[in-house]
Amino acid sequence: MTGITFLQLFLLINVFIIGALSTTAIRHAWAHFRPQKKVEKPAAQTLHLPQELKEQMLDKAQRDFEKVLTHAASELQDDLTKTATELNGQLEKLGAQVVTSETQRYQTMLESLRTQVQTVITTAQTDIQDHQTDLKTKLNEKVAAEQQRLVGQIDTKLADAVTSFLAESLQHNVDLGAQTPYMIAMLEEHKAELIKGITDES
Amino acid sequence: MKARLQLPDDVTSVQDLMTLMIEVREFTKWFSHNAILKRVGSKKKSDRPALSPGATELLHAWEKDEPLSVRRLDELTDLLNLYKNTAPTLTITLAAPPTNDIKQTLTNWCRANIAPNIMIAFGFNATILGGLVIHHKSRIFDWSFRRQLLAEREKFPEVLRRV
Repeated sequence: MTGITFLQLFLLINVFIIGALSTTAIRHAWAHFRPQKKVEKPAAQTLHLPQELKEQMLDKAQRDFEKVLTHAASELQDDLTKTATELNGQLEKLGAQVVTSETQRYQTMLESLRTQVQTVITTAQTDIQDHQTDLKTKLNEKVAAEQQRLVGQIDTKLADAVTSFLAESLQHNVDLGAQTPYMIAMLEEHKAELIKGITDES
Repeated sequence: MKARLQLPDDVTSVQDLMTLMIEVREFTKWFSHNAILKRVGSKKKSDRPALSPGATELLHAWEKDEPLSVRRLDELTDLLNLYKNTAPTLTITLAAPPTNDIKQTLTNWCRANIAPNIMIAFGFNATILGGLVIHHKSRIFDWSFRRQLLAEREKFPEVLRRV
């Protein structure tokens, strides 16, 4: 900011100098090409110069004027050249500074963005891994539960089949005589329960 | 008030008891008629009704305390009627029609262990496979093979896996 302010001040001074020189040059040019006619005082001229002297004076004045004008133009040219050179230098410096600072800023920003992206990617990877682990656990649990359910179904159907088979095959070969001791044993075993049930119902 | 009555062993169910009561009533009628004939000195005699062994056994047991009379027979009828109305009744279902021996065995056990005047009705249902199912009013005591098979069926897969 300070550099820019200094440059602006320098440029303003240069513009002011150029303006002053231009004004001087223009005044001289104007005075040369459009000389103002002095009001002649009718009775003031008492001195009569010879024509030759007048011409010599006019030539000399013209040469002097041309000399001054050339000198001023040369100085103006030099100043303009110097100014342009300095301006180019300043602009180069300014450009270099701007480019450097912008480059640094971009680099900083890119680094920040890279860090953010890296953080986001790391977080996303962690989340994905967690989710994968969670999904694997749930899948394993579901598979185990389904397996257990199918095994249970098979066991149930198998038990039903065996029970049905036994029921179908045994009911045609009943020997009550052989069962009598078993029945008496069952009655003895459940005697208390039987008596209690009959007493409660009575 | 009334003497205890030991029912004949072959009288197990209420149906048997009602049959016995009918026989006793018939016998009472005959006995009364015969007593009247004796009282009037008539030589006419009516034939004694045929009685089942159970009825005969019952009447013999009943006349041990006091000789038979119309009053005693009426008392016996009343007592049998009382048994019919008050005796606990069980229904035992077996896997096949029971023989008399099995009926007798089960009835004796029930009368010895539960109540001396208990009545047992027998039925059969082949699907119970074996064992017995006892009904008493709303209670069911299921000690059948089928019940045990169904109760243990969860163990079949384990047994089969071991095999």
